[in-house]
Order: sequence, then structure tokens, then C-alpha cells
Amino acid sequence: MKEQLKAFIFSELIYHEDPSVFGDDDDLLEAGLDSMGIMRLIMFAEKEFGVILPDTEIEPDNVQSLNALENWIKQAPQNA
Amino acid sequence: MLLDGFVRQCRLQPDALALAESDSQLTYAELLSRAQAVAAALLTRGIQTGQPVAIHIDRGMDAVVAVFGVLLAGACYVPLDLKNPSARLLFIVGDAQVKAVLGLGEVPIWLDAGLWLDIADCADALPQPVEILPAGLAAILYTSGSTGQPRGVALSHAAIAAFAGWAADLLALTPQDRIASSAPLFFDLSTFDLYAVLGAGASLHFLPAKLTLAPARLSAWLGEQAISGWYTVPSLLAFLAYKGNLAQTALASLRFLIFAGEVFPTPALIDLAAALPGTALYNFFGPTETNVCCYWPVRREQLQAGQSIPIGQPAAGCELHIDADSGELWVRGPTLASGYWRNGSLEPFLNRQGWYASGDRVSIEQGEYRFHGRLGRMLKCSGYRVEPAEIEAVANAIDGVRDCAVLGVDDPTAGQRPVLVVVLAPEMDVAGIRKVLARQLPPYMQPSRYLVLDALPRLPNGKLDYQRLKEIFDT
Repeated sequence: MKEQLKAFIFSELIYHEDPSVFGDDDDLLEAGLDSMGIMRLIMFAEKEFGVILPDTEIEPDNVQSLNALENWIKQAPQNA
Repeated sequence: MLLDGFVRQCRLQPDALALAESDSQLTYAELLSRAQAVAAALLTRGIQTGQPVAIHIDRGMDAVVAVFGVLLAGACYVPLDLKNPSARLLFIVGDAQVKAVLGLGEVPIWLDAGLWLDIADCADALPQPVEILPAGLAAILYTSGSTGQPRGVALSHAAIAAFAGWAADLLALTPQDRIASSAPLFFDLSTFDLYAVLGAGASLHFLPAKLTLAPARLSAWLGEQAISGWYTVPSLLAFLAYKGNLAQTALASLRFLIFAGEVFPTPALIDLAAALPGTALYNFFGPTETNVCCYWPVRREQLQAGQSIPIGQPAAGCELHIDADSGELWVRGPTLASGYWRNGSLEPFLNRQGWYASGDRVSIEQGEYRFHGRLGRMLKCSGYRVEPAEIEAVANAIDGVRDCAVLGVDDPTAGQRPVLVVVLAPEMDVAGIRKVLARQLPPYMQPSRYLVLDALPRLPNGKLDYQRLKEIFDT
């Protein structure tokens, strides 16, 4: 899951010279992930992993890093 | 002059709430007294009428205290974007020839400590009244410059007051209004918050910065604070429309929302309009040089997915003209800036016919103006104006860069992003350039991609062939 998220983020949302050096706990917000990017990321994750990510859980803490994102998505309810 | 409305409110309702930021509040009388202390300290330093003073505070209560202090002293404020690298801030402070820098706490390491004035150190005092003329400069807002360096747009008291007075009337602001504020001082949106809102006796409520990434808490905050109006950027409102849990949030107090700075994607606007049936929506348009010259009160029945929204009709007494040859929008009227501020003096910017040629391509259909993009090379990146020439100038100054050009590529999240096409000397590489640019340009001006070529394509007259360059990049 993390690899898919990472591939999407660095091909569609943030430019990074060498994503392979970007760590799972590195700060995505500092790297340039903004509100529009978060919106597209949520759409991607909901479709790709079949989950529902409620509006009320969209918080800086949940999108801060690849690990945070993965944890958030893993505990999210499946789209029935 | 610009603060006349605010000062009148201080007399009429000294104990009314003026500013609120998390748990702190200032009444009109308290704000006036803090601003007077700053003004008195500036006058003691020998600051004279019309002299520029920089503000090293982005936004919030202290930023308003600093700005009002500068204006009460008769001086002119130069807001700094603290996300800029120090090299760019140093350029701006030097180019503006500021006589003082207002801030809080430690002196920034790049700054001559003799210029620093900590507003927390300003003791209560009444400044000597100064005479302020309508044509006197009130603010210099630095944007990206086509000449290769940041460029200060110099706004007079009369120009900002013309916009603020018009906007306060349009929105029928009253002392009962509670207005959200999120724009940093260096964006011209902030002039609405500072002068229209506080001139009308309403209160300003600073949006906690973290909420811009937590849309459901953002809408809850708007409801809890009983916010009645907000002037912000489309990207935040689109986030709110799609992810703000608006269906479950009561925003009964929200009378109006205004947006400017970017094109609002129509599908997002349709959703926002449907979620907030009782809220009037306004599209404001205008480069910093005109503040706002055009506006469209959103007519819901006119919104159609797949069709961009109009920029509407002339605002604030501005006259608009479309140049027949180029389709360029020309503007004249009371909100126009006085000119560009360069090296401590004012450069006029009107064309021979006496208009400001905006560089925006527009048309008029059924009495409504429509925006069709830029004539020149200017890009809009995350809501900021970016002149490719400014990035090129910094890149060309790097040892090991033989030639370079900046292109804009469309980006679904940022609007546009700059791309640097570069010809390198053998000892140089892209990583080396990145490092230098990161030190000299703000994040939104950093190239998102690099393309290394052996030579740049040129036209027979020696000028860069941008058309060809774009084709090369696209392949």
C-alpha cells in the first residue's frame, strides 16, 4: 500500500528529484503536499483501496507522512 | 486617511471586539492603543511621512498592530513573506529602502539589527498626529517581477481606501459582522480585512493555520465562531466544498464568501453553491496593480459544468477597456496603484494612453467580462504570481549555467508550475542548481522539473523560441 501511495504522490502531486530517498516518516506537508493534493490523494486512496475516508478525519496528522497515511487508510471502513 | 474609518469606529464603539486570534482578543480601543505605541516608537526613531517600514509578521493580531502603527505614523508598510529565503527578503528590504523592520522577538540573522523594532517593546504612548495626503503611499506589496527581480507595487491611501469603501458598501458590512481572516499581509486580499472590515466596525477572526488542512474542523470553526463573511482563495473553498462536511454543519450566519487570486474550478463552485444556498458568493478579479477592478456576484443559475465563470463587471469605479489588437484588458480608475517602487522611488506604469495594461486577455459577452489567460509569460503557481524572468535571472547568475529558460506547465494541484530548461557547463549538474535556487527563491518559484539540453532553440532574430521549447519539453 505504501509503495502505491508513494508512487501516486510523487508522480501526480509533488515533484521530488529522487523519491527513493524520501523516507516513510518524512514530512509530506513540508515537501509540498497542499489542500488540493490531499483532496486528490483521498480520491485515489478511496478508489484504489476501496475504503471510505470520512471528511472529519482529514487532519494534518493523518497525512503528514507515508506511515501516517497507511495507518489512516488501514483503519478506515471498507466501502460496502 | 486609510485608517479614518477605523479611527472613527474607535470613537463610536471603543469596547467592541476588533480582533480575535485563538484565545486572545483586542477591542477597538485596545488595538488603537497598541498601534499608537508602535507609531510613537517609529516617530521617535525619526521615521518620516511616506517612508517605507517592513513588517516581519505574516498575519494575525500582531501583524495588524504593526501595520496600523506604521500608518498612524504616516509611514508606508512593506509586508514580508516569511517563507521567502533570506536572500530575497534582503533584496526587498534593500530595494524598498525601508527605514525600520517591525517584528517580534529575535532579530532575523540576515537583517541589520539597527533596523529591527520589536513591537512588544513599544511602550504605551500617544504619537504626534501627522498629516496624510490621499496620494501618499500606504503600502508596497512585492510580487514577482518580469525584470528578473521582485517588484514592489506601490499603493496610495486613496487607492486602497477606494477599494475598501466600495467593498464595504457592496457587502453592506456592519458592526455586527464577524469576518474570518486568512490572507497574509503580502496578498492584496488582506486590504479587505484590514480596512473594509475594521473601517465598518466589524470584527476579524483569524483562522487557525492548521485548519486549512482539516476541512471538517474548518467548517465547524466557521459555524462555532458565527462567521458572517470571508474573503479567501478558491483552493481553500474547493477543499471546503468537497471535504468540509458541509451537509452536517450549520453555517446559518455565513452571509457571503468572496474569492480571488485563482480561477475557481466550476464543478467545485457548483458544489459549494449547492451546499451553501443562503450564502452570497462573489468572484473578485484584478492584479495587485489594480487591487480589484472587476467582480461577478455568482449567479447560481448561470453556473454550468465545463464552462468557466465570468469575471463580471467593473468594480470600485474602475473603467475597463479591451485593446482591439491584443485583447488585453486595460484599466484606469481610483483603485490603481501609483506605480512600481524601485530603489526608493516611484516608477509610473501607465501606457501612453493613460491606462494600466494588465497583461490579462479578456473578452466581453453579454455585458460580462471573461478572463482567458495571460498575454505575457507570467505564471500563477499556488495562487502566487511568478514571472519566469525572475527565475531565469537567478539561474543565469549561477556559475556553470550557460543558458536557461523557464516554461510553465499546467498542474492540477498548483495551477501551474515552473520548469527550468537549462544548458550546463560540464562541471555543473541539476542538483547543484537546485541547491542555489532553494536558497534564493521561495518554494512556489522552485522549478518542479528540469530539462537539460545542449543548446536552447532560438528564432532567426536570436530570441528564444518558446514555442519550440514547449514542443521539446512535451516530448
